[in-house]
Amino acid sequence: MPLSSSGRQPRSALSNSRQSTGGRALIACVVVSLALFTASSRMGDEGPLAAARSAFQTVTTPIRYLGDTVASPFRGLGNVVVNLTADQATLSELQAENDQLRARNVELEEAAQTAERLQGLLDLRDAYDLQSTAARIISGSSDSWSTTVSIDKGTSSGVNAGMPVTAASGVVGQVVESASASSRVRLLTDENSSISAMIQSSRVQGMLNGSVTGQLKLTLVGTDQQVSVGDVVVTSGLGGVFPKGLPLGEVTSVESSPGALELDIVVEPYSHAESYEEVLVITSLTEGQQATADDIAAADAQDQQGDDAADEEGTDSGEQAQDTETSE
Amino acid sequence: MQVADRNRDMRGTVVLAVVCLVLQLALAPNLGLGNGRANFALIFSACVALQSGGTRGVVAGFLAGLVFDLSSTAPLGLMAFCLSVSSFALGLEQRNRMAGDLGTTMALFSAASLGVSLVFHLAMLLVGQTNSILDAIIFRALPTAVLTIVFFVPFAYYYSRVRAAGAGIGGAGTIGRGGIGRSAARFGRRGL
Repeated sequence: MPLSSSGRQPRSALSNSRQSTGGRALIACVVVSLALFTASSRMGDEGPLAAARSAFQTVTTPIRYLGDTVASPFRGLGNVVVNLTADQATLSELQAENDQLRARNVELEEAAQTAERLQGLLDLRDAYDLQSTAARIISGSSDSWSTTVSIDKGTSSGVNAGMPVTAASGVVGQVVESASASSRVRLLTDENSSISAMIQSSRVQGMLNGSVTGQLKLTLVGTDQQVSVGDVVVTSGLGGVFPKGLPLGEVTSVESSPGALELDIVVEPYSHAESYEEVLVITSLTEGQQATADDIAAADAQDQQGDDAADEEGTDSGEQAQDTETSE
Repeated sequence: MQVADRNRDMRGTVVLAVVCLVLQLALAPNLGLGNGRANFALIFSACVALQSGGTRGVVAGFLAGLVFDLSSTAPLGLMAFCLSVSSFALGLEQRNRMAGDLGTTMALFSAASLGVSLVFHLAMLLVGQTNSILDAIIFRALPTAVLTIVFFVPFAYYYSRVRAAGAGIGGAGTIGRGGIGRSAARFGRRGL
């Protein structure tokens, strides 16, 4: 028996046949919908409807956040399809952009390294309270008989011949020629280079000389002095050119030949100009950076001690010769 | 004989509403087909309309559309209007249409999805949300319809096979429907 008045097919069922088709509900919903649509279109982003939407968005934010969190690991999968279906123009454009970014990356890497080197120089200048000017190495030696580099600062920048040049890790050399906008720096390893130096731990003084082979040799150190491999060699400040205490290198070999008055000491320099681009030219020394009277006295004492040892050695040799002549 | 458990139907509707709400807010924004996004409000209203129909289906469609409007940037009432009408159409002929008839269910829902998406996006075109009718139809309406149909498949399978089978072996749901072939025959007669 049909119980519905909505024009449905007759049924013997008991369950749903009492329900209407929802025509009245449809009319009501459509009217409300159109009213809401009209009001929403007219009011735009203001009014109670916008406030209701805003409140709904706020309430449902945790669910959206949850969905975003769960979906984030899989979000890249969509790019696979996009990449596979990308046309040639898109790929070419991306390739060009990639090249530009790669070049830019190299440029930024260079800038970062330069900044790091300059920071090292600044740290050095602050640590030693150096009166200095920064310069850039612009070329190496143009001949085969000197070990020099050129820097981009000259007399117009206050750089003059004789001024010491240092890098962050240690002394580089000394300005030997200065033009208005460039200067030539003789490196430590040059054959004609000679710097007053001392062993940092034992305060033994000597002269650090370059050589044709590029090795640094610490001379004028007597065989009675204590020098060990690994000792640090720094500038002594004697001569008034280099500030006292700048690092020069590290002792790598100490030999004492029979009958020799001096130790044969080889030093590995800390600085390698070929690996530096920025240096500091020390333009003047403060009073504290120069050797003190005690340093000079110690150097004289060490020199006198060496002379005495040589004299004794000479006396012994003369007596031995006389004995030989006598026996003959 | 059909035996309806209204409390069970209501519980099922509430659970379905919550599931679809969560999917609409959490899944739909993160899973797209081009510009298309799945419309779980349509899925919910279609399920209710095909299961219960009548006033309940229309009201469910209206409320689902209203929630969809609130969660989107579209003018309020537009999707509510679309889903009210589609729910009315889907629930016109008989109740529990999904039970045991997956093909017919999918066909009906596909038609509803295409219709709702087209009307919605054309309305958006008219209110100036988009500029090109081709964009509105090809790049927005069709992907949305297709994606919604795809996401409706598990729901249709559940209601047509799993839930119907559970009712048939002694569950509290409606029983005694006309078998799998009847709805398909009606679908053919109506020319859809």
